[in-house]
Amino acid sequence: MTSANEPIIQVNDLHHRYLRGTPLEVVALKGVTMEIYPGEAVGIIGRTGAGKSTIVQHFNGLIRPRERGKVIVDGMDLADPDIDIRALRQKVGLVFQYPEQQLFERYVGDDVAFGPLKMGLPMDEVRERVREAMEMVGLGFEEFKDRYTFSLSGGEMRKAAMAGVLALRPKILILDESTSGVDPRSRKELLSRIDYLHRTRGLTVIFVSPNMEDMAGLVDRIYVIDDGRTVMSGTTREIFSQPEKLVQHGLGIPQITEIVHELGRRGKVPPTTVLTVQEGKEVLWKILNSSGT
Amino acid sequence: MSEEPIIRVENVTFAYNAESENPIVALREVNLEIYRGDYLVIVGHNGSGKSTLAKHFNALLTPTQGDVWVEGMNTKDPRHTLDIRRTVGMVFQIPDNQIVATIVEQDVAFGPENLGIPPDEIARRVEWALEVTELKPFRHRAPHLLSAGQKQRVAIAGIIAMKPDVIVLDESTAMLDPVGRESVLAAVRRLNQEEGITVVAITHFMHEATEGNRVIVMEAGRIIMEGTPREVFSHVEELRDLMLDVPQPTEVSYELHKLVPDFPPNLLTVQEVVEEVCRRDGRAP
Repeated sequence: MTSANEPIIQVNDLHHRYLRGTPLEVVALKGVTMEIYPGEAVGIIGRTGAGKSTIVQHFNGLIRPRERGKVIVDGMDLADPDIDIRALRQKVGLVFQYPEQQLFERYVGDDVAFGPLKMGLPMDEVRERVREAMEMVGLGFEEFKDRYTFSLSGGEMRKAAMAGVLALRPKILILDESTSGVDPRSRKELLSRIDYLHRTRGLTVIFVSPNMEDMAGLVDRIYVIDDGRTVMSGTTREIFSQPEKLVQHGLGIPQITEIVHELGRRGKVPPTTVLTVQEGKEVLWKILNSSGT
Repeated sequence: MSEEPIIRVENVTFAYNAESENPIVALREVNLEIYRGDYLVIVGHNGSGKSTLAKHFNALLTPTQGDVWVEGMNTKDPRHTLDIRRTVGMVFQIPDNQIVATIVEQDVAFGPENLGIPPDEIARRVEWALEVTELKPFRHRAPHLLSAGQKQRVAIAGIIAMKPDVIVLDESTAMLDPVGRESVLAAVRRLNQEEGITVVAITHFMHEATEGNRVIVMEAGRIIMEGTPREVFSHVEELRDLMLDVPQPTEVSYELHKLVPDFPPNLLTVQEVVEEVCRRDGRAP
């Protein structure tokens, strides 16, 4: 158990190699350190192949730390072979990049119910959780519970997979690029629902993505991962104020941030980092006003 | 325009499971002409019909009603299928599904080999395709060990080595990080501007739509907007209602236009916004 001022996830100098001891060995993590506190929304960003997924797959025990470094989740040391892995997976919900690959039942309702049933909950409790989880992601319970899973659209499949994870009522929700390849409408819906859960229920959210625009409105803090290491960390605004460093790590900044930075370089405004179009508009409006237009 | 379109879509309606009791209508009376040298961007949500439309361009799908003509060949006529597929090459979202060989240059050569092209011509084409996609340093590498952006460029190189007149990119940048995406866009830009290949790009990244000379917006199986990027993106409110993104530079210029009526509402790039603000700031009060 952790209290509010103790991290719910603590990662210290984590190393990992895939296919360790074989000729195909790949070094994936070479020293990752991060701390995530209860109720935070944290972004993990980095270019393709940086090690982001390898990190978050440690958090629910899919990968166990066997080399240098420590991972502690809600007081459990994940290197300890005796920890209750099922208890861990109820606490930490992981939604993958292709959530549709997480679906397997014939009917949507059954798929969402799978986890709570395995927890041995009574039927009426399972039904309640399924209803709640489906409504949370925007799949109406009555409308969707008896639909064939594989007749859903791509966006609906992702919502169903997410509902299956939420039905476990995790304390921590990890989205591992779960919105890439989703169209803007579904993406906005999913992100705003997650944001709502984060704000109203204190859900801890870990958001993995290469896309900075998505991060801007959603997360409080960001860790940048490159080549298996933590290379930057700070508040979202601190991170976005270092575009040159981000570019070195294969990343970019939102275009609105870039506009205001460029105006700063040209001496039109003091150096400022904006995160949203709304903030950017205020800055530009001030410039236009002061010049008498 | 007097010139013949390279692809003409005439009144096309398409339904999946057209014969069944519950056909799913994906395209409704679509009309479209694509001209040689165009860089056409198709935007819309999942399920709006944009991929279905693209699959009509090389006869992967044929219309339930209406006709698609590629260089005057009707896609419904099976005698033309091979010629149509040589004319129009497709690149998909996940390059891994499209890569077949274990070495980059062999993968690029695979298509032209199957077309029965003489070996020295194949070698020339592979050189050219690797050059345009900036893959020469990786020619002897294994494709599955490349980054996602590099892999996508291998898939593109494999297609252009068959020398198609048109290349269709179906969300080919959706899974890439920003650097990978930019490398693919740069390759496509070169193909269009320097090699004269007609490009049709499907995307839901709105700022990629500014790459093209024409944009169409699809919704529920219909083309609901069409024009240059600047024309289309000046409909900020309508695009918002559709919950489509507007590029951030356009959104901010539109918002400023509401406050300063003579500020242009439809700037497309970071550079344009910066220049416009500086130009006005230079005007002394």
